[in-house]
Amino acid sequence: MEITRLAATMCLLVVALLCLRENAAARVYIDINSPGLKRLPIAVVDFVGITEGTELADIIRSDLDFTGLFVFINKNAFIEDATAPFNPDNWRPLGIDAVVKGTAEAEADGSLSVVASVYDVVESSNILKKKYASRKDLIRPLAHKIADDIYEALTGQKSCFGSRIVFIGQEGDRKSIYLMDYDGQRVKKIVSKGDVTMKAHWSPDGKKLFYSSLRNGRWGIYELDFDTVSEEKLFSSGATDLAGDVTQDGSYLLFSSSGKGSPNIYRLHLGTKIVTRLTHSDYIEVSPSASPDGKSIVYVADKSTVPQLYIMSTDGMDSRRLTFEGSYNTSPEWSRSGDLIVYSGREGGRFQIYTIKPNGTELKQLTDTGNNEEPSFSPDGRLITFTSDRDGAKGVYVMTVNGDGQKRISPRNIRAFGPSWSH
Amino acid sequence: MKRIALLLVLLALVVSGCATTDVAVPDDKKGKDAGTKERNGKDDVIKIDRDKIREGALSEEQIRSQMASLFKDIHFGYNRYDVADDEKANLRKIAEWLLKNSNVSVLVEGHCDERGSSEYNLALGDQRAQSTKNYLVSLGVPASRLETISFGKEKQVCMEHTEECWLKNRRAHFVSSK
Repeated sequence: MEITRLAATMCLLVVALLCLRENAAARVYIDINSPGLKRLPIAVVDFVGITEGTELADIIRSDLDFTGLFVFINKNAFIEDATAPFNPDNWRPLGIDAVVKGTAEAEADGSLSVVASVYDVVESSNILKKKYASRKDLIRPLAHKIADDIYEALTGQKSCFGSRIVFIGQEGDRKSIYLMDYDGQRVKKIVSKGDVTMKAHWSPDGKKLFYSSLRNGRWGIYELDFDTVSEEKLFSSGATDLAGDVTQDGSYLLFSSSGKGSPNIYRLHLGTKIVTRLTHSDYIEVSPSASPDGKSIVYVADKSTVPQLYIMSTDGMDSRRLTFEGSYNTSPEWSRSGDLIVYSGREGGRFQIYTIKPNGTELKQLTDTGNNEEPSFSPDGRLITFTSDRDGAKGVYVMTVNGDGQKRISPRNIRAFGPSWSH
Repeated sequence: MKRIALLLVLLALVVSGCATTDVAVPDDKKGKDAGTKERNGKDDVIKIDRDKIREGALSEEQIRSQMASLFKDIHFGYNRYDVADDEKANLRKIAEWLLKNSNVSVLVEGHCDERGSSEYNLALGDQRAQSTKNYLVSLGVPASRLETISFGKEKQVCMEHTEECWLKNRRAHFVSSK
């Protein structure tokens, strides 16, 4: 008994020591939180061994480019052959600091086996070497996984390359929920029931979606389970019920319902299904989003006769007004790191995306072209997805938290809006 | 109970028959324009045409055509859900008709223009439908015959991005639901 415990303790100790060593040795090539951030010159060489090697490298390059943290040079300028071993002398003249190389082979069963390496040119060292196995038709998720490991090796942070975005797509009068990778690829329709379906909200584990849908003339809140591919009705008051965000610990769904007259904020325990009413006013109160520490909720209310953002504690007490600029502020979402709230506000007859600190300071406008609405943070809080009509029909766009690199990611053939980023 | 209902019917008839007298609906709070608190008592129950009340039930066809001409959309100001004064005469006519045709139930749909968030507009449409219903209830129409639903900005009747279209879309719309 004693011996087992001792052995267990020693095991833990060894693990802890290894972790310490790892941390001490890990070098951060890009400090993403540094204000005077310098972009890292990186080369991603086409992977060798399979015909999809170029595609793999393209996706990895595109992922890294998405972050705005890297600079690339044209691969025609590369001196080193893709098949040759890494030699820092081939990269120093090009001003490259980090090099990604990879080899892949197709296995007999049709799967792929890939080894990816990252080299530090300055130190002439191998920062990362990792082996991957994947189905051949899942090359995009594989590339995202490799890019994620590269990103983590260079920044010490998790990326959002494996994350996904759901949005509402409209064909004719019909609105359905679509799912896509964070880069707008692999778009598929996942829920097409109901006359109207509203913006969906993710469970923190990424396994469930919650949304309001109009079915047979009645609004209800529905839960979609990705594991069982089944849908369940969670709540319906007979009036207007609108799903909000799920709390970061995954235990409550916040929502609004006008079942008692005016729209109030409620929470539903996802285990027990017990519903608790949080607000009791006669005003409109909708669109709740919880702080990551679970202590506060930001929401929209028209107590001042126009929609503004308010913050209250999770029991519905101590409500205070957050936004004072503008006369129409809606669609708030709390970042998962807790430091920012993003929302949509009207300015000069058009809607723009803003961020504000939960204490009401540092209001920042991020967009200025067309109407921009319904913002949602990436899991790492560095990117924001939103709806814009700047190119005519509505589409889903992405930008950095500073408003840089704004681009459309949803396909042009679908009217797309109401994006929601997985946690 | 029956007497109260009759009284309400009579009152509604008096009120609707007299263009100069408005029903006292307190405008104390935007959107909560239900007018359930007080009634103007200065009209007496004298000028009632009792024959009108005894009118027989209408045929389906008559109901449909009368509703089509009478149940006009109620329009709302931007971002507002209180029943505007110039829509009240219209609602009084509707209430009067509903009191005469007690076998008809109505679904009140709340709609919004295209501007603003889908979620907020769904709440706004909900309140437009409810304040319209509440006004009819204040005129004596039993709440049990009035259902509401919000479509927010999801079902527009006018597709252009103009003030004119926006006004058309900000509406309470009536559908027979019996």
